This record gives sequence, C-alpha cells and structure tokens, in this order.
Amino acid sequence: MKDIKFTSVQVGDRLPELCIDITAKLITGAAIASRDYQNVHHDQDTARDLGSPNIFMNILTTNGFVGRYVTDWAGPSGILKKVSIRLGAPNYPGDAMVMSGEVVGKNDTDQSVELNVTGKNAIGDHVKGNVVVLLR
Amino acid sequence: MSKPVESLSEAELYEISVLEEKLRSCVGAKAGPFLAWDSVNRAMIRHWCEAMGDKNPVYSDPAVAAPMGAPAGAVIAPPTMMQAWTMTGFGAQHPPGSDMREQNPAMPYLKEYGYLAVVATDCEQEYMLPICEGDDINSRSTIESVSGRKTTALGVGYFVTQLTEYRNQHDEVVGTMRFRILKYTPAVPL
Repeated sequence: MKDIKFTSVQVGDRLPELCIDITAKLITGAAIASRDYQNVHHDQDTARDLGSPNIFMNILTTNGFVGRYVTDWAGPSGILKKVSIRLGAPNYPGDAMVMSGEVVGKNDTDQSVELNVTGKNAIGDHVKGNVVVLLR
Repeated sequence: MSKPVESLSEAELYEISVLEEKLRSCVGAKAGPFLAWDSVNRAMIRHWCEAMGDKNPVYSDPAVAAPMGAPAGAVIAPPTMMQAWTMTGFGAQHPPGSDMREQNPAMPYLKEYGYLAVVATDCEQEYMLPICEGDDINSRSTIESVSGRKTTALGVGYFVTQLTEYRNQHDEVVGTMRFRILKYTPAVPL
C-alpha cells in the first residue's frame, strides 16, 4: 500500500473503482464480525417474513467498505476523520457493488481531503457517502 | 398500520396520535453508559478486516501503527469499527456495569404499535482519537429526533435518530455517531 501525498491530490481526482461481490457468506460473516446479530443479516426466512426478498448487508459493513475504499487509496498514513453514509438499494446475495469516489474538497489548514463515495449495485445506489481523510 | 393517512378510521388516527405523543416524549432521552464485552483486541480487528478485505497494515502491524498514534506494541482498530465495540452481540445484552434499560426507548413503543421491521438508513461518524488495542470503549446515546409518520418504499414508519458518543478508558471522546433507523410496517403483505 502506497501513501498518497496531500500535495499530489486535486479536486476532481477520481479513485479507482472497486467491485465487491455480494455473497451470503460476506453478508453474514461481516455482520458477525461487526457484532450485529439482527436476524435480517443471516436468516433468510425471517428476512422474508419482514418483507425483504433475502438477507441484506448491514450498515456497519457498508461503513467498513466505505472506510476501506478510501484508505486503500490514501494509504496507511491516511487518517479517517469522518465517514457519513446514507443507504439506498440493499445489497442482496448474488449482486455486486461497484464503488467509485471523487475528491470534492481540499483543506490546506489541516491537510484534509473530502471525498464523495458511491456504491452502486444492480438495483441502484446502495450507498452514498461523504468522507474526510487527513493526508501527510 | 400500513394504510395511507386519508383511509384511516378515527380510532386508528387516535391510536397514531397516542403513539406519536409517546415518541415525542422520547426525544432527548439519554441512555448509557454501554460498556464493551471485550477490550479492543487484535483478533476482533482481524475478523473485521478479513470480512471487509481491508489489508491496511495500521490494523495489523504495531510498527506501522506506532507513528499513527498507537502505544508501543499495539495496533489501531479501523475507525469505522467504532460502533462494533459496544454492540450487544449474540446474547443481545450489554455487559454488566452497563445501563440495562432500553438503548433506544422509542423502539418498544414502535414495536407495540406494530412497526416490527427495522432498517438503518444513515450513519455519520466522526473520529477524534485513534481507537487502539487495549482500549476499553463505552458509549452513551441521546435520541435526537423522531420523525412524523412517513410512507416510504419499504412501508409506513418512523425515522428515529440517535446521537452516540464513544469514550475510552481515559474518558476521552474517541468519536461520535449520528445513527438513523426506520422502524416500519412492511409495504409487502406478510
């Protein structure tokens, strides 16, 4: 992993896309790694009883992916200061989420960079996020 | 209670007004502290990183974590993992020493009135200090707002927004989280 320098970043820069395959294993494994035992994240029958066609990814996992997506780009010296997300189309097993991101602001005072991040699946936008990361 | 408001009977409208009065009384309600079952530890961090495919060495290598603010020999936890530390987990209970009341006092009312399904819709986290291996995290929450009755693509329900502050064992605020959930009656008939 390489560090990105604050001075080399420009507003309008786009992050390389990242495609995440959404599987039942990922949804349940990540829900449990995030200590989230809500049944809609592991139990298909209950998810259906509650009006959902299948189990779906929990918000902590989406948050984890948004953070990872930005630090994959920023490198190990990037420090996350803010991750703000809104969920839309659920991530169901069998789908894939394509993450994209763009630098929308730079603050010279604290060397922070603001990014907009989107995760799109076959249904629509799963997540829209706004992230602030400090760079060296 | 999934009908649009214009087709509700007077009795149903009255029931809604009673629920909404209860929900309004929850705004400003504080809960906590909620303690963590485990100190921040490398195994749980690794399980998280494995699932998220996160290979950032700050989360696994103390030598990389040290210049980023970790104590000697410790790794830093992914900031986005903050919420996980004080989750109830499999037993759906907070550890001893925690506030044993309902973490979100609006939820039992919504459940009682038939809004059984829940989804999280928004999460805004800010990080003030690194959360490091060995830290003991606790959280305290306040209900910031409850929406009016909303008709959404998922069904009819209410948005509840909580603001949570996370502190470490030195009583330093490590981060804050504004978390919004929709508690609803599914539009699809059960």
